Amino acid sequence: MKANAVLFWILSVIFAAFAVAYGWWHAAEGLVQEPVGLVALSLSSVFAMFLGFYTQRSYNSFGGELPEDRLDAEIDDGDPELGHFSPWSWWPITLAGAGALVFLGLAVGAWISMIGFTIFVVAIVGWVYEYYRGYFAH
Amino acid sequence: MPHNGTVTTTTASRPVAPVVHRPNVVAVGTIVWLGSEVMFFAGLFAIYFTLRSTSPELWEAQTSLLNVPYSLVNTIILVLSSVTCQFGVFAAERLQARATGKWYQVGKWGMVEWFFLTYAMGAVFIVGQVYEYVTLVNEGIALNSDAYGSAFYLTTGFHGLHVTGGLIAFLLVIGRAFAVKNFGHKEATSAIVVSYYWHFVDVVWIGLFLVIYVLK
Repeated sequence: MKANAVLFWILSVIFAAFAVAYGWWHAAEGLVQEPVGLVALSLSSVFAMFLGFYTQRSYNSFGGELPEDRLDAEIDDGDPELGHFSPWSWWPITLAGAGALVFLGLAVGAWISMIGFTIFVVAIVGWVYEYYRGYFAH
Repeated sequence: MPHNGTVTTTTASRPVAPVVHRPNVVAVGTIVWLGSEVMFFAGLFAIYFTLRSTSPELWEAQTSLLNVPYSLVNTIILVLSSVTCQFGVFAAERLQARATGKWYQVGKWGMVEWFFLTYAMGAVFIVGQVYEYVTLVNEGIALNSDAYGSAFYLTTGFHGLHVTGGLIAFLLVIGRAFAVKNFGHKEATSAIVVSYYWHFVDVVWIGLFLVIYVLK
C-alpha cells in the first residue's frame, strides 16, 4: 500500500513538471498560451495528489502492512468485509430510469423531465431507505 | 531438522498477518468517484480558459459586471458550511446522532443538528447564487448571450447543481438518523462520505471563485 501511495505522488510530480514545461515551452516559443493542456496537466497532477494523499492517509491508519503486501500472508487474511450489497433491489434501475427520463426530457420536451423528476424523488428515497423500514428496520 | 532448514513451511506456527484496519469500501469508492469529478471540472475549467483566450475583449467587458464582494460573502458561507459539516462528522464518528443537551449548547450537538446547520448554509449559498444569476441576466449576461455567459453559467451552474445534490444527500443522511433506533457505523459511514463530497464541492468552488472572480 505504501508503494501505491508513492506511485501516485510520483505521478503527481510528473504531471506538475509536465504542466510547467508545457507552459514554459509556449512562452519560450512566443506563442499564445494554450490553456486546455495546461489546465488538464495541472488538474491531472491535483488528481494524482488527491489519490496519493488518500492512500497515504489510509496506509498510516492501517497499523500494519496489508496481507497482499506480505509474502507470508494467506489468501483468507486478505478477505475483507466488502460491505452490504442488496441482492435483489429494484431501486437502482428505477433510479436510472428516472435519470434517463429527465435527460430525455431535456432533448424532447420539459414535461418528460418533470415526470422523470417525480420518479427520481420516489426512487432515491426508496433506495436510500430500503434497508431502514419494514422487515429491515434497525 | 537441518536437511530442509531453508524451506519455509506454513503448516506450523506461521506468523499471523496482523489485523489491519482497512478503509471502508464505501469511503474508497467515494474517493475514486470524486477523483473522476476532479476531471469533470477540469473539462469545465478548460472550456472557461479556452473561451477566455479566444475572446479576451469579451472578458474585459463582462467581468466588470460581476459583484465580487457579494460573491465573496457567499464563498465564505460555503467554506464555513464545510466546517460545520466536519463537526457533524465528528459527532457521527462518536455515533451521536442527536444533541445531548439543549439546542443552544452547541458543544453537545449531534450529527443531525450540525448537518441541519450545514444544510441551511448550503441553501443560503444556492439562493445567493440564484439571486446573482437574476442580477446578471438583467444586466445582459445570459447562458445564450455570448461566450462569456456560456462559460460563466456552465461552470458555476454545474457547481450549483453539485451543491444542490449535496443538499439532497444531507437530507437523506439526516433522514437515516431519524429512521434508526440505534445510530451505528453504517449510518456514520454515509455521513462521512457525504462530508467527503461536500468538502470536494467546496474546494472546487474556491477554485472557481479564484478563476472567475479574482483572476477574471
